[in-house]
Amino acid sequence: MDYFLELFLGGLTRGSIYALIALGYTMVYGIIGLINFAHGEIYMLGAFTGLIVASLLTVFGLNQYAILVLASLVAMVYAAAYGYTVEKIAYRPLRQASRLSPLISAIGMSIFLQNYVRLAQTSDFLPFPALIPDLAFMEPYAHIIGSAELVILLVTAMVMLLLTAVIRFTRIGRAMRATAQDKGMAMLVGVDVNRVISITFMIGSALAALGGVLIASHIGQINFAIGFIAGIKAFTAAVLGGIGSIPGAVLGGFVLGCTESFATGYVSSDYEDVFAFGLLVLILVFRPAGILGRAAAEKV
Amino acid sequence: MLRLRNVKTYYGTIQALRDVTIEVAQGEIITLIGANGAGKTTTLMSISGLTPPRQGEIFFMDEPIQMLSPEKIVALGISQVPEGRRIFPQLTVRENLEMGAFLRRDRAAILQDLDYVFSLFPVLAERQRQAGGTLSGGEQQMLAISRALMARPRLLLLDEPSLGLAPLVVRQIFAIIRRINKEQGTTIFLVEQNANLALHVAQRGYVMENGRIVLADTAANLLANEAVKKAYLGI
Repeated sequence: MDYFLELFLGGLTRGSIYALIALGYTMVYGIIGLINFAHGEIYMLGAFTGLIVASLLTVFGLNQYAILVLASLVAMVYAAAYGYTVEKIAYRPLRQASRLSPLISAIGMSIFLQNYVRLAQTSDFLPFPALIPDLAFMEPYAHIIGSAELVILLVTAMVMLLLTAVIRFTRIGRAMRATAQDKGMAMLVGVDVNRVISITFMIGSALAALGGVLIASHIGQINFAIGFIAGIKAFTAAVLGGIGSIPGAVLGGFVLGCTESFATGYVSSDYEDVFAFGLLVLILVFRPAGILGRAAAEKV
Repeated sequence: MLRLRNVKTYYGTIQALRDVTIEVAQGEIITLIGANGAGKTTTLMSISGLTPPRQGEIFFMDEPIQMLSPEKIVALGISQVPEGRRIFPQLTVRENLEMGAFLRRDRAAILQDLDYVFSLFPVLAERQRQAGGTLSGGEQQMLAISRALMARPRLLLLDEPSLGLAPLVVRQIFAIIRRINKEQGTTIFLVEQNANLALHVAQRGYVMENGRIVLADTAANLLANEAVKKAYLGI
């Protein structure tokens, strides 16, 4: 039973990171119908920014929690700036073009960002400091869930609740939903649609960066290519849950994370991807719109 | 109040409006009638800035607006009730109305206006928490008009408000349009295919054919005009 719980909680932890990244995919898809293939790279950039900030702050001798919070915040702000810029230079000029053009532009952006980091930093794996300290009260449960996993779960849960509240109850959240449902009508009531799209990219990017910092600190190393596989997995999670749906992205992330975790624990870690993508194929065959997706998916 | 001068609007290489010149005075109800595809909706979208004209000028309160973005045009006091109503289907009725007041910050006045539109259309008050997409066609039209009113427009552009509605509902909605014009002094620019109805509500009318204004006169004269009778009134 403990083993099952351990795998389950491990799966949730993994899944919460997928969910954080998947939110960016699904929000952008909901609002402009684009699969932003450069999104995984934003996550990678977030992890790198976190590493740089954490290294700097360690020199100043700050305590671990302060470093974790500051590194995460700076990474989120930085990634938001990247998300804003990527949208502005790679997607906005192609807003009226056919759907294929921005997709290709996204893949180009992804390759560019990877290689930019490879040149600016290094192609080797870099060690990432463990920013989440061991909590004393968690000692008795260490065989089920580690402190880092607990913190990751709590932080992502909080962020997701916050995001839901923003989208449901604030003026900008309403504008995002309206824009996703009918862009032209949103303009007719005075919404600056370009601004809403920029904000959507910035929020999605900040969430991905947070995921990047949290998981890098847990795994302990990063390199320029981590965004690719994380991006593909998160995209899978978004499709699994129903692309365009926010609860779908979260659910998809958790389902995917748990599937991988159980496959690793009960079968072999070599097969985790087989199970993950096998599940995707099954869902797409039997529920093409995803778990929570509807024929007319609820967007943003 | 509103003046279009030689407006030419294109979709790609296709010219939809050819030298459209229209004038609307403060407090008036004017109507633009014409067949399907004549360019009536394009005229409204050109005013609202969604399909800005390539040539020509549009003045609102003597300021040129043809190069402004749609949200600036809304901010100046021009609201549109578009063809097909275009309710945000997954927002609640209340949220749809709040979207209408998107550019306003005067919380108290917004609540007053909410009460006002609920007094015009009591059914909307009952359905506040329902998703906009679940309303009937007539209720959606009421919501679309109310959403536009929530911006406190000085000029209201109405595109085919009678489309697809039962005659009784149409009568009810047109009575409200008159009432808005009287009570709020809102100037109304009405686009209609139902020429008979439109010319009975409006003081003046324009007739559009193939992107061109072919006739402009008082509503009474247009109703009596032989060509109009033949082409649009089915008499």
